[in-house]
Amino acid sequence: MSSCTLDNPGPLVSVMMPTFNRRRYLPVAIASVLAQTYRNIEVFVINDGGEDISDIVASFDDPRIKLINRRENRGKAASLNEAIARSEGKYVAYLDDDDIWYPNHVSTLVAALENDSEGVAYSDLYKSYCRVKEDGTRTVVAKKVEVSRDFDRFLMMHMNHVLHVSLMHRRDLFEKTGLYNETLNVMIDWDMTRRLAFFCDFKHVYDITGEFYAPVSECDRISVQRRKDRGDYLRNVLTIRTSRPAKPWSRVKDLGIIFVPSRVDEAAAAALRNIWMWTCHPCMVYLPWTPRELALLNTDMPNLRRVTVPEGATFLQRVDAAAAACEADYITIVPSGLEIGQMWLEKSLWPLMNTFDPRLAFELDSSTEAAWSAVMTPEHLRAARAAGPEMGLRDGLKAAGISCRKPRIDEMPFRFDDAYNEGRRADANGDWLGAAQSYQYAAGSFGNRLWMDTLTAEAMRKAGKVSAAIEFALRANQRRPTVDSLRTEALGRKASGDCQSAIGLLEKARDILEGKHTIWT
Amino acid sequence: MDLTHNTPTQGDKLTQRYDVLIELGDCHATVGDTSAAKECYEQAADLEPDRAEPYVGLGVVSLQNEDVANAEIAFKVAIRLESRCAKAWCGLGMACQVKKDFAAAQENYLRSLDIDPDNLTALLGLFQSSCQMGSFARVIFYLEAYLEMHPGDTAVMFCLATLYMKDGALLKSQKLLRDVLVLAPENADAANLLEEVENKLSQAVNSGAGTNV
Repeated sequence: MSSCTLDNPGPLVSVMMPTFNRRRYLPVAIASVLAQTYRNIEVFVINDGGEDISDIVASFDDPRIKLINRRENRGKAASLNEAIARSEGKYVAYLDDDDIWYPNHVSTLVAALENDSEGVAYSDLYKSYCRVKEDGTRTVVAKKVEVSRDFDRFLMMHMNHVLHVSLMHRRDLFEKTGLYNETLNVMIDWDMTRRLAFFCDFKHVYDITGEFYAPVSECDRISVQRRKDRGDYLRNVLTIRTSRPAKPWSRVKDLGIIFVPSRVDEAAAAALRNIWMWTCHPCMVYLPWTPRELALLNTDMPNLRRVTVPEGATFLQRVDAAAAACEADYITIVPSGLEIGQMWLEKSLWPLMNTFDPRLAFELDSSTEAAWSAVMTPEHLRAARAAGPEMGLRDGLKAAGISCRKPRIDEMPFRFDDAYNEGRRADANGDWLGAAQSYQYAAGSFGNRLWMDTLTAEAMRKAGKVSAAIEFALRANQRRPTVDSLRTEALGRKASGDCQSAIGLLEKARDILEGKHTIWT
Repeated sequence: MDLTHNTPTQGDKLTQRYDVLIELGDCHATVGDTSAAKECYEQAADLEPDRAEPYVGLGVVSLQNEDVANAEIAFKVAIRLESRCAKAWCGLGMACQVKKDFAAAQENYLRSLDIDPDNLTALLGLFQSSCQMGSFARVIFYLEAYLEMHPGDTAVMFCLATLYMKDGALLKSQKLLRDVLVLAPENADAANLLEEVENKLSQAVNSGAGTNV
């Protein structure tokens, strides 16, 4: 465990606080950073072309604060990049101008990182629902830990499950990931966590180390407002999904998609668009096309590799040419007519990534007799082609002794999410025991134990199973109490006649809601 | 695309702080710490001024402090905020009962039970006020309805058996008391009442009078 003492101040942590026109909340956010028990920090407050905040910064009179005053508003990514360029810390952490850290935030994450060979850690945060008066005063009405998900790289390629405000990572990782993408105007946090996932596992620390605010009514957050433009939002999503940091990637295996349409026409163009739209795993699309066909290609789609083949090249010759150029760890060959939609590839890619059988490939879910397609390793493909140069791929795999089948349900990805969502549905329908069963199945089979125990406890309580509710809530509270788990245990204790214990638990919950455990408010 | 920005579902999430205050107030009231309970209910009322529950809590605390006038005010505020608040009507019934206005108490308990037939406090209050007034027909109806929902509740079974006896339905009373003693053989009150009922039954048989079973 790393500790910060006079003799050993611990590694320097660079704190990034971009801000834009939030004078009302900025002082509390800054105060929460300066109140960290871990003292060895440098705090970059970056005014991104908003109203003057120099008086606020000066009022703290703390040499650890470095104000960057930008004249024009160029966005959060540019603000962060400027501060990162000036920073000297071993680690980087982030705080938005209207959120707060608890005093244990930096110390908790530094301790996690100093004891870990990876370079990224994140904690849990309260989402603090509040009513906002006209003068900006906030009244907290609920504090929920809504996201407490263990790191899942495959999921990270689809969506973000790590809050930026809860993230700390080694600064030198920027050399691998690159800096923040200034062409994005939303989800720059997901873009960065996704890129970090190419190189590191993330350590999930269950402690709650801060809170981010969510107004009950219309949210004024820039990121929320910008999401309303669906076209722009989609552009950002696709930009992020197709982002590929420079190789080598230590944690992600690359995917090559060899697209061999029977003819280059509108249908082929649509298929190409669908590949771009629906593939979440990092990939490169190989186009083994003739010069005439390539000349028809008019697209700015990223991650396309043109592989020129001679006029009259057959399907298999095209596959061979693309495979020779392909540097990926997994390959799929897409013929004309294959249906490409959500999860079209990942349902088969995931089992291939997880199988211990080196002689097993997976047919795609939408593969048919007329449009057969599978995902395999380059070794599989080489063996299939060597088994019979004139054989079709399916026969070639068979001749090479490689099994190829569609994945079973239990082999598909996101099984945790399936079980969790089943629990949520049961919960919403009042089937509390069914919900509890689903949450426990999710935890037992796929992890996220603490989160699932908290939900199970409340479902058990609603089902009238008081002792089970107390048991699950107690287990959660011993590890990491939240307002919800404290309340669930309290209601269980009250129902079993132990009002004094219930009072103790509810008073703790009330103190958290009132912010009494934070020292700067 | 982003789990970290999921939209909140409206509903229970957004009343968490209010709920904690009400529950804490209820616990304090249960253990008799009325000043702590009052503080919680007042904070809850500040947070959600249009909800009846905090005023019901304040009314209960006033009753515990034998401050009937303020209890009545609090329950009436609760009813004004939420006319179908069964607990508020029940509380008003309790306040009337303390003032020995049994007719008003009975009326308020009945309004409470019309909204929530499951309200045991109102049911028992209705039983007590009915005993005071000697009118049993409506309370018997609610006690029977309650037992349909909670068969085996020996406290309510005993009350109903008492009312059956007072109403002259001796055989019904006898059967119910025997059921109570099967469920709770050590229930001395039920055993004593059964003895009384059976005495009356034998007197009725001896005198040749029928019962209104």
